[in-house]
Amino acid sequence: MLEAPFDPVKLAIPFFILAILLEIGLGRLRLASAEYEARDTAASLAMGLLRGIPALLTAGLIFAATVWVWEHRVLTVPFDAWWGWVAIFFLDDLIYYVFHRLSHERRFWWAAHVNHHSSQHYNLSTALRQTWTGGLAGTWLLWLPLAFLGFSPAQIAIQQGISLVYQFWIHTEAVGRMPAWFEAVFNTPSHHRVHHARNPRYLDRNYAGILIIWDKMFGTFQAELDEEKPRYGLIRNLGSFNILTVAFHEWIAIGRDLASARSLREVGGYLFGPPAWSPDGSRDTSKSLRARWAARQSAGATPAE
Amino acid sequence: MTEGQPAPRPPSSFRGVRLDAIDIVPDSCTSQEPAIPIPAFLSQLAVSGVAVLVIVALAAAARLARSTPPLDEAAARALLADDFPDAQIDQVWLAADGAAALALSGSQALYLFRLGDAWVARDLAWSDVASAPVRGGRLHLPLSDVSPRLARPALAGWAPETA
Ligand SMILES: [Zn+2]
Ligand SMILES: [Zn+2]
Repeated sequence: MLEAPFDPVKLAIPFFILAILLEIGLGRLRLASAEYEARDTAASLAMGLLRGIPALLTAGLIFAATVWVWEHRVLTVPFDAWWGWVAIFFLDDLIYYVFHRLSHERRFWWAAHVNHHSSQHYNLSTALRQTWTGGLAGTWLLWLPLAFLGFSPAQIAIQQGISLVYQFWIHTEAVGRMPAWFEAVFNTPSHHRVHHARNPRYLDRNYAGILIIWDKMFGTFQAELDEEKPRYGLIRNLGSFNILTVAFHEWIAIGRDLASARSLREVGGYLFGPPAWSPDGSRDTSKSLRARWAARQSAGATPAE
Repeated sequence: MTEGQPAPRPPSSFRGVRLDAIDIVPDSCTSQEPAIPIPAFLSQLAVSGVAVLVIVALAAAARLARSTPPLDEAAARALLADDFPDAQIDQVWLAADGAAALALSGSQALYLFRLGDAWVARDLAWSDVASAPVRGGRLHLPLSDVSPRLARPALAGWAPETA
């Protein structure tokens, strides 16, 4: 099957709107923690609203590539087989973990993902601060093995939509902790707050989509600590609410760096090194910030003379 | 929630592409309805746009922004420590309106300014700050991605040549 009989994301749009209104209402009545700044909210929602336009540029290519791979599949997973849905649930979520980790650890893909992290707020509107350049960055290639295995393009699209819809509700400070069994297995508001935090301790942690188990398996899990409240946003926050800045600032920064590159090594580093890679190591990367934070921690733990 | 994900799609499309525009017949669920026409796409966009405006208006009316009172020196130091935890701050100047601060840290200048209900920090060479022009009573810092102007009256005791 090529065509998805329904689109989870489209079905969920009224729920997105109502949930944001509910969060604002609960915040207003002081029944839940919710911080909104109107221009920040406008930027987040505009990114989500308008992302369909740049997506049109690459949608045809992504569709054609997925269909072509599926036509060369090794198996055929029936669309109505329950085991197929169980399998794709886990496989899609594992691919999401890989995609998301790549999107943080390598600058070329970070340039497409950074906008999602560019708000200093963490509320349901932040969830809709979606990329405009993800298609161009090519991370959709990571999902092609599912088509090669035999999952239909429609099934892949639906599972991706389910994952996207799941991840909406976790962008909130209104929910503290879910029950322990749920926190142990699923990505939750608490886990994803850590992911959006710029405290060194929390950098590059919790890449999960639906299941947090991947972070626990691959060593990137960090629990939210009561004594360290997340501070949201980027290592160096944006100085503007302009959505063009939000969407393209890191691509522009890459272009500027490439223009100054003096060797192939520098070109490679600026494009595919970690975000903030520099030839002389003078810029702060997540790794260097975490290392200095760890050094401060251990120095602080040593009694002063 | 992030990217790599499909955009919201019309019902007779896959990943935003009109299936009837592609020379492949689905093996099931063959759709007889025409792909969503441009006017419908635009009207959906318009409806969503109205929803966005309503949400933004309600978010503003609900007054849920963080409180960001004018900076004093202690607040400026604490905020700069978030962004520059290793920096030794030698001296701090506050902008008159309390919406920005400048700090000297060795040969570096650390700059902090309010954006909406949050704070943004940058660092630059102190020599660039010391030679930064003052126009219209405001100090103009040379930063590539933002164009900060600090209200000079608030930069109490501003004398970069002695710093
Ligand atoms: Zn992320
Ligand atoms: Zn997120």
